[in-house]
Amino acid sequence: MHELSIALALLDELNALAAAQGALRIERVELEAGARRGIVPEALALAFAEAARGGPAEGAQLALSVLPTRARCRHCGLEFAPAVDDYGCARCGLADVDILSGDEVLLRRVTCVLAEDAAPERAEEV
Amino acid sequence: MKRDITVVTSVLKANDAVARDNRARLDRAGILALNITSAPGSGKTALLEATLPALAPQRAAVVVGDLQTSRDAERVAGLAAAVVQINTEGGCHLAATQVAEALDALPLEGLDFLFIENVGNMVCPAGFDLGEHRRVAMLSVPEGADKVAKYPTLFQPADLILLNKVDLAALLGYDVDLVRADLARLNTRAPLLLLSARTGEGLTAWLDWLRSERTARRG
Repeated sequence: MHELSIALALLDELNALAAAQGALRIERVELEAGARRGIVPEALALAFAEAARGGPAEGAQLALSVLPTRARCRHCGLEFAPAVDDYGCARCGLADVDILSGDEVLLRRVTCVLAEDAAPERAEEV
Repeated sequence: MKRDITVVTSVLKANDAVARDNRARLDRAGILALNITSAPGSGKTALLEATLPALAPQRAAVVVGDLQTSRDAERVAGLAAAVVQINTEGGCHLAATQVAEALDALPLEGLDFLFIENVGNMVCPAGFDLGEHRRVAMLSVPEGADKVAKYPTLFQPADLILLNKVDLAALLGYDVDLVRADLARLNTRAPLLLLSARTGEGLTAWLDWLRSERTARRG
């Protein structure tokens, strides 16, 4: 359940953001995570929902997209997309790479509710 | 009124920043720090029990992560210069802040090595930098020979791979060649060392690796 660590770190960011923006609550969160993180979306959603209770992100929708892994061979410089169990370089045959992408966990976009609208029919306006 | 805020921020930047601080602190003290990861029961603590006395006169401290109990810390207590036990109380991996607190509690002066025994888990510790200099991934013979292929996220970033309990290899018909073949696709940078923490077989190569990595680090 490394998803719980990620959910808690995400909430630290969101709570700070909500405070800085003076937001009443957070409605939607877009997260990008590298494939190497091995995040199970359901596990992250569950951890996030539990950890967000009582704070501005309670009930927020969490959208997760996965970034593919990219690697560069340390020996010949070839850039390629390794398979999860195969980091072998097609050119030189070694499996010794620098990871260019695949380890990141990035918060991309947050939709904040700054004030409750007076009339419900205006709720669709931004 | 709603507002969409476009932010591009790393969610784990707090952990990564503390990890960098830890590494800088260890560098200043001239300590080589190793993050040892494996499944529960592979023999991380047994490895330390065999390693610590053999490293003398070089001095080592140990940080042990477990969900509960201080049993691992008690096992190495008389062997290490200092030991800190971290109970994660359900947490499935160590975090950089926990190691930072351990560094506060340790007498860093005069230490040569810091062994960080991570929580026994082959998935979660892989994604969290603790501030170590080298990652050691361990597997053991009774776990089966297919561990490398099953847990690539643990073995791909490792700087050294240890296969423990090799004294049982013949008894269990262990296929070391399968481990080698999987590593050939996944990680050709890390040496594979076969050892038995129990019998001491293969321990010399591990000790040599530790000393040479420390020398290389200090320049």
